[in-house]
Amino acid sequence: MPDNANYMIAAYIVVTIIILGYTISLWKRSGKR
Amino acid sequence: MIPDSSAADRVIRRGRLLTVVGLVLLAGIYLLAFQFTPAERGQGLAFKILYVHAPAAWAAETAFVLVGLVGILYFWLKDERLDVFAEASAEVGMVFATVILTTGPIWGRTIWGHYWAWDPRLTFTLLLYVLFAGYFALRSAIRDPAERARFAAVLGIMGMLLVPFIHLTVYLFRSQHPMPVLGRPPCPLENPDCAPSLPWVLLRPLLASFVVFTLLYVGFVTIRYGIGLRRAAQEGSDA
Repeated sequence: MPDNANYMIAAYIVVTIIILGYTISLWKRSGKR
Repeated sequence: MIPDSSAADRVIRRGRLLTVVGLVLLAGIYLLAFQFTPAERGQGLAFKILYVHAPAAWAAETAFVLVGLVGILYFWLKDERLDVFAEASAEVGMVFATVILTTGPIWGRTIWGHYWAWDPRLTFTLLLYVLFAGYFALRSAIRDPAERARFAAVLGIMGMLLVPFIHLTVYLFRSQHPMPVLGRPPCPLENPDCAPSLPWVLLRPLLASFVVFTLLYVGFVTIRYGIGLRRAAQEGSDA
């Protein structure tokens, strides 16, 4: 079995940054009037 | 036809609730994938990238198909809210498309040995991404709301037509992209081995992740739609 845990972790970190980043962006924009 | 900003606030509140539930469930997917799912024998732990890559592809493609369908409806009904929804869905689709185009190459680097290949599915997905980047460039270039909605609807319909084609690329061309595990055409009787090959323990997080990404799409698009409605209501009251 290939040893590639670091690639999996990198992918999940990227997904977390994108999803949380967009959530924060939406939150701030939806709070502005 | 645009509701007042208090109605937009209600939409935003609903979207925030859905998004929070989606994010909590996403954390649950991470836990399920890391803690309760074994590594796949051939690909090792990198196989688990599938649990965010494929559902993100589903969410992005759903978003882009809805932009096209709503574009068709706009030509029929001329309702400004449809254009607001199309813009919201396109933006959220771009977010999920970014997930596809970043997690795919990370998986490719460890399994194929390179980040990118000019494979039909990868190339057409990139083309779809560029097309929707153009969608936002087009929107920002046109001032008149009715003209902007018309032009954007045409581009959205073109993007929608690309989605089923992308799905079929692995069947139409020789492709190194893996064949889908779900949503495949039925197996011919003489080759029953082509049935979905994932055992339940590996399939379970994937199915759960599809549900969570769908919920996240709905939450995101609801908030973004509310923001668009509020902006349109303010523009209407300023004019």
